[in-house]
Amino acid sequence: MNLVEKILARASGREKVAPGEVVVANVDSLILHDLSGYITSRVFEKEVKRKMRYPERVAMVFDHHFSPPNEERARILEENRAFARRHGIHLFDCGSGNIHNVAVRNGFVRPGTIVVGSDSHTPVHGTLGCFAVGLGNNSNAGTVMPFGKAWFKVPETIQVKISGQNKPGVCARDVALWLTGQIGEGGVVYKAMQFTGPYIKELEVWDRWLFPLITIDVGGKCSFIEPDEKTVNFVKGITDEPFEVITSDPDCEFADVWEYDASGLEPQVAASPTLGNVKPVGEFAGAPVQWAELGGHGGGRLEDIRQAAYILRGRKIAPGVKFNLVPSSREVFTEACREGLVQLLHEAGCTWFPPSTGSNQAINMGAMAETEAMVSTHARNFPGRNGSPKAMMYLGSASTVAASAVKGCIADPREFTV
Amino acid sequence: MNARGKCWKFGDNIPTDQIVRSDRVLLSLEEMAKYVLENLNPSFPREVKKGDILVAGKHFGQSSGRAVAPKAIKATGVGAVVVEYAARLFYRNCFEIGLPLLECPGITENVSDGDIINVDITKGLIRNETTGKEFQAKSVDPFLTEMLEAGGLIPLGEKISEGI
Repeated sequence: MNLVEKILARASGREKVAPGEVVVANVDSLILHDLSGYITSRVFEKEVKRKMRYPERVAMVFDHHFSPPNEERARILEENRAFARRHGIHLFDCGSGNIHNVAVRNGFVRPGTIVVGSDSHTPVHGTLGCFAVGLGNNSNAGTVMPFGKAWFKVPETIQVKISGQNKPGVCARDVALWLTGQIGEGGVVYKAMQFTGPYIKELEVWDRWLFPLITIDVGGKCSFIEPDEKTVNFVKGITDEPFEVITSDPDCEFADVWEYDASGLEPQVAASPTLGNVKPVGEFAGAPVQWAELGGHGGGRLEDIRQAAYILRGRKIAPGVKFNLVPSSREVFTEACREGLVQLLHEAGCTWFPPSTGSNQAINMGAMAETEAMVSTHARNFPGRNGSPKAMMYLGSASTVAASAVKGCIADPREFTV
Repeated sequence: MNARGKCWKFGDNIPTDQIVRSDRVLLSLEEMAKYVLENLNPSFPREVKKGDILVAGKHFGQSSGRAVAPKAIKATGVGAVVVEYAARLFYRNCFEIGLPLLECPGITENVSDGDIINVDITKGLIRNETTGKEFQAKSVDPFLTEMLEAGGLIPLGEKISEGI
């Protein structure tokens, strides 16, 4: 069995499971954000009407609102706080950071466990060797909250092997964006992916995280990376909670094996309307942008802030560009302060925002008029997610975002880094 | 279970963001239903009738896993959704909230807006009454059929938690 099958077998009390079987398994962590959490809490209290079975396993993170923009949203956050108090679940209030980063940094994600959430990027937690999937509100409210369980269909698994070394100015996010195009939207519907190969093994944990992050956008159910020494040290540095590392059997079989070589890759950009529209940066170079942002489910990492600072050291962003920086957690901001990056980027003309998911769905920032365009480290570029359906969203690495902010248009970061 | 009505056809890769815009997710379902797929076909939410059939292409319902997307489609009165294939979370959500969903590769080439479609949900049989053609959808796990017939996951919550 592979890692996912072993975790599902153990959590459902079976000796073994096979792809296609439906099992009911114990869930270790349920992660909700301020919007999905609100909807889930309504379903739980109005339709399910039972007790929260394991409140200590449930975390709600306010990350779409770092501050309520109006009275209605203020009321929703207050109702979420009251719900958290009534049921004794963990609450991370406005300013804590992005849901998935906060979950990792507070020990809700440990190797060998089952992590579920209503955010569709929940599969990112497969990075640490978990079975991590997004579920709908009805599963979370109907079985996870009252019974600590959920139903799962055991997925088929594709092995995705990546080799090669990046050229200067190209980074893990470029490889992940490129891979989204290679696999294609809907390329692995209902399936699991094991990300492996020398390229993945070389990466540090926060760079590895960019690969399982793409799971949902290529249609997958979950992804995982075999936990190794880096994984174990990373998790032990965060939590004292015990965990059992589970790895795939060396002779486990895969539904398919796909191999990719990242060696010759250029920096990549994915332009609206979908993530599948990903091309080398040169194809979009010169397209004007008024907004730049480091933020979103995969952005606002310390690695992103360092990349931007490398390019902006001694430079200013272009007139007319607004470059918003959104740390993914308070810990990231602390470290950015310590490294002097906060001042450096502020003086380059950037604006710091509170730790959150930034302009994801433009709930408290990041709305655009139809004539505007943004370049960002966000995970999605669908029309209408950031204001006008006609506004453009370009996704790229933090280096590409910073280079574009300096030039006022989509730009190749190698102009500044090589 | 059966549904019969007019066909409303949509394209490939439609995200839940386009089914229900993110600034509308906190509306009541009745209100939300007035805006379903508004940007792709403004007539749809205004003119859709009870029992109508929503047909769409590949990877329908991708992006955000918001269960309000299928809930809002259900609230418009749509009797069944037939797609080339659905995004995983959308698929799961449809059964969990009680909206009949069938996957039928090739369907979009064989129906047009306004055709009268008759869907036998239990058998997965889709008949285009306008052209007389019939299509067989992919089979559905019996566990999910049971969930759909129960009206969704919540009535089965306790049973599911005891094991399937």
